[in-house]
Amino acid sequence: MTREPSEEDILRPLKHTSMWYFVALGIAGIGALIWVAGYLWQLQHGLAVTGLSDWGSGGGVTWGMYIGLFIWWVGIAHGGIILSAAVRLLGMDRYQPVARLAELLTIGALSMAGLMILVHTGRPDRLVWSVVVSYTETVHSSPLVWDVTVITLYFVLTATYLALTLRYDISRLRDDLPGLFTPFYEVVTLGYTEEEDPIVERMVWWLALAIIILAPLLLHGGVIPWLFQLMPSMPGWFDSVQGPQFLTIALSSAISGVIILSYVMRARYDWYHLLSDNVLRGLTNWLGLFVLLFLWLQLQQVISGVFAAPISVGTVTGAMLGHPVYWFAIGVSVLILALIFASAIRPSIWSPTLAVVFSVGILSATLAEKVLFLVEGLQYPGFGLYAAIPGAYFPSLVEISAFVGTVSMVTIFFLVVLKVFPVIELHAVESHDGDHGHAEVAD
Amino acid sequence: MSADDHSCGRDSCGCSEGNSSTAKTSILDQLGDEEGFHPMGSGWEDEMREMLDDTEYDAELGMEMARDAMRLVAGEISEEEFYEQYHDAVVDEFETDERPMAELFEEDEGEPDGHVAKLSELSAEDVTRRDTMKKVGLGAGAIGLGGLFSNDQNTEDPVSSTAAAASDDHREGDQRYGMVIDLERCDGCLECVVGCIDENGTDRGANWMYVMTWEDQNTEQENFMVRPCQHCSNAPCAKVCPVQARHIRDRDGLVLTDYETCIGCRYCQVACPYGVNYFQWGDPEIPTDDLMTGDHGLSGSELRELSEEERVDTLQDSGDHIHDYRGREVDSRGRVGTMGKCTFCPSRQDGNMGEEYVGTVACMDACDSQGMSAIHFGDLNDENSRPNRYLERAKEMQVDPEDKQEGVIDEEEDIWAPAPHGESQLSAFRLLEEIGTQPNILYLGNEPGPEAEQIEGPVPYDRLRDSRDRQVVDRRKDVTDEMTDFGAAGD
Repeated sequence: MTREPSEEDILRPLKHTSMWYFVALGIAGIGALIWVAGYLWQLQHGLAVTGLSDWGSGGGVTWGMYIGLFIWWVGIAHGGIILSAAVRLLGMDRYQPVARLAELLTIGALSMAGLMILVHTGRPDRLVWSVVVSYTETVHSSPLVWDVTVITLYFVLTATYLALTLRYDISRLRDDLPGLFTPFYEVVTLGYTEEEDPIVERMVWWLALAIIILAPLLLHGGVIPWLFQLMPSMPGWFDSVQGPQFLTIALSSAISGVIILSYVMRARYDWYHLLSDNVLRGLTNWLGLFVLLFLWLQLQQVISGVFAAPISVGTVTGAMLGHPVYWFAIGVSVLILALIFASAIRPSIWSPTLAVVFSVGILSATLAEKVLFLVEGLQYPGFGLYAAIPGAYFPSLVEISAFVGTVSMVTIFFLVVLKVFPVIELHAVESHDGDHGHAEVAD
Repeated sequence: MSADDHSCGRDSCGCSEGNSSTAKTSILDQLGDEEGFHPMGSGWEDEMREMLDDTEYDAELGMEMARDAMRLVAGEISEEEFYEQYHDAVVDEFETDERPMAELFEEDEGEPDGHVAKLSELSAEDVTRRDTMKKVGLGAGAIGLGGLFSNDQNTEDPVSSTAAAASDDHREGDQRYGMVIDLERCDGCLECVVGCIDENGTDRGANWMYVMTWEDQNTEQENFMVRPCQHCSNAPCAKVCPVQARHIRDRDGLVLTDYETCIGCRYCQVACPYGVNYFQWGDPEIPTDDLMTGDHGLSGSELRELSEEERVDTLQDSGDHIHDYRGREVDSRGRVGTMGKCTFCPSRQDGNMGEEYVGTVACMDACDSQGMSAIHFGDLNDENSRPNRYLERAKEMQVDPEDKQEGVIDEEEDIWAPAPHGESQLSAFRLLEEIGTQPNILYLGNEPGPEAEQIEGPVPYDRLRDSRDRQVVDRRKDVTDEMTDFGAAGD
């Protein structure tokens, strides 16, 4: 018998806290502290504590894991909001229960991306002021400033979007929410009346439209890849396929993130009827589609890089093809794609646990691919005379701690949010009340 | 048949860059030849004629003008002759004669030398050239002139004058510091590298001046590449900087980093095609007190509050080696977390070190002191500056290729002898010019091709010590890794 989703369901995390919650908080806290220690170490001694060095006669690479993590997190952020916007824009009700999870993932991931930029710079103390002072001049020419601009815009859009949808929920569930956060609820629901509901709904729709247009054009299919592809000095980057390539990686990473979140949440809070197998299976299929596109674009790059490429392009492609990290990324993606397609023919292959394994696999593959893309790009510049100075890069422990730290901090972010407001929209429960009974038959 | 089919495809016809000198030779040869005048041969001319027949204008006039245009460029007839010979015919045909010479004639009658100069100025700009062709309106004439204009342009640049690469946005009459580096004079002693380290107090391995020894698998000849910052007039590093720390100094085109503004994002390093940037990964090895900073005791912002006159006096009296005349912190190695690179020694140019140091750089002094004089630094916009004078002399010194061949040519193998060549064969190049950076270093000597490989030089870096008795290091990462290993162990 299908259970009807109810308000009780979405309030469960706010009312009950198990021992596991504290275990998760403890582990994530330790992870975050490891990074804090690493970063303090870096602040004390400078970026010399990283594995980075100067390209050229320096024999190293100047951008590495921090920027790799930046792209990875910002990809998860962009993919997450595209997912959520698509749900609202196209009325994909089946995925309504994951919409807010995706938005929260966006906020968390975007914060980590911003943090990585801060950590990456040699003088974080000057970052904001220096950028603001010269903004009107530099916005004309520096892709890095375009990046700051659209990411800020994007953060505002996403936060507005989340805040607007929260008003509806919080005003209705106010009595059941913990008293500890009363000031927060009062700010969020300031001046709320029921008459605003249809207006807010329209605003949210327009925001979703703006996001779905902005994300591929200007964000992860635009400014982020442009940071690299506009540099004629680096043949591994100077390639107009980077925009679509980045976008497919972003969407694959974000869907993977949402699958993992959904899996954990439904197990902890007994949300099998909300975040059903059907939802996870559907997300896995979408994952398959974007992984297919990712591999297709890789094929484009490899073919044009090996067939009759100019020497500099051929060199960097050859180096990429000779690197085990590349084959790890591609191998994992091919294998997962094959299994996702196979499960379409034989559904018994698929299981929710396998979907999580796929997701972890894809997230590792996309991180590996992006870090390699960065490093190889800088190791094989157009000016090839330096090739005799062997360049090598391996992230130092301080840099690796940033990976552990950011994953931990996003985990902490979710653990906190779970206790402050519902991570599944009231709308999702309400729409289930209406026409969604049939979707749960498979359970 | 469309006109486009005959437009000068610069790679396939004699007008292409690599063949420019050959093309010119054959023009000279063929001018005397009754069969055809165009370097592409009589077949080409027939096609031109056919194309002109399809237009509404007089094909014969076009062909005649094209022929005489060739003679004009070869110096057989003067511009006045060329202009006057066709003036009436052109007016008849087109109702107006707007050839560029027309304007020039009106402007400065009786100054024949000026016309040539102005004509070549016009030719230097594509737009003007296209415009000219449009005005002339004569297909074949235009093709003839167009082709030759490209020849002129290509043979002249980059050897002719270092002034050719002046930036569009650089003000007329400004100084533009740059270098002519004669790689043939370099012996790889690395004294310039040490001179730079001594001057700027850079960390070990941060070789702002760097010398590479390289060979090409085809020749195995030992060559050098002396690599300071190229101080590009269209510098990509300055373009991408998010905070305007990396900038081009208006007064003289120096590409500098303001160490007080730089946020250390390293985007300049990523955008630079030459790999000349060195980040200050940790605390500088040489403390600020050891940088000959002078003793005025003023901070950068205090210096900037002074009037320019007061500031310059203060800097010069104290021999400040960090701040330039604007009071910006741009000289010597930077602070921790900022980007450094070759600066062309701004405090020398601004007179902080004394008048005798203006127009000199540390690497050039070191090179001169070794008796090598491969590096020639100075204002490229000044034709009497050291680099421009050196370039002039280098051109004069060139051996005529025919002399080179003397006594070598085998009668039977005469077919292999290079065509007689009136132009200078001086090999000059700018690094990666095709990227459009407008570098201000002009090299004389062998240009490294894509297959060039760095090899061990005659003097290994680690055999040298700087004036502070630190070992010179080739590969910067060996130094930065010391900290990483320590960091890893300490974690």
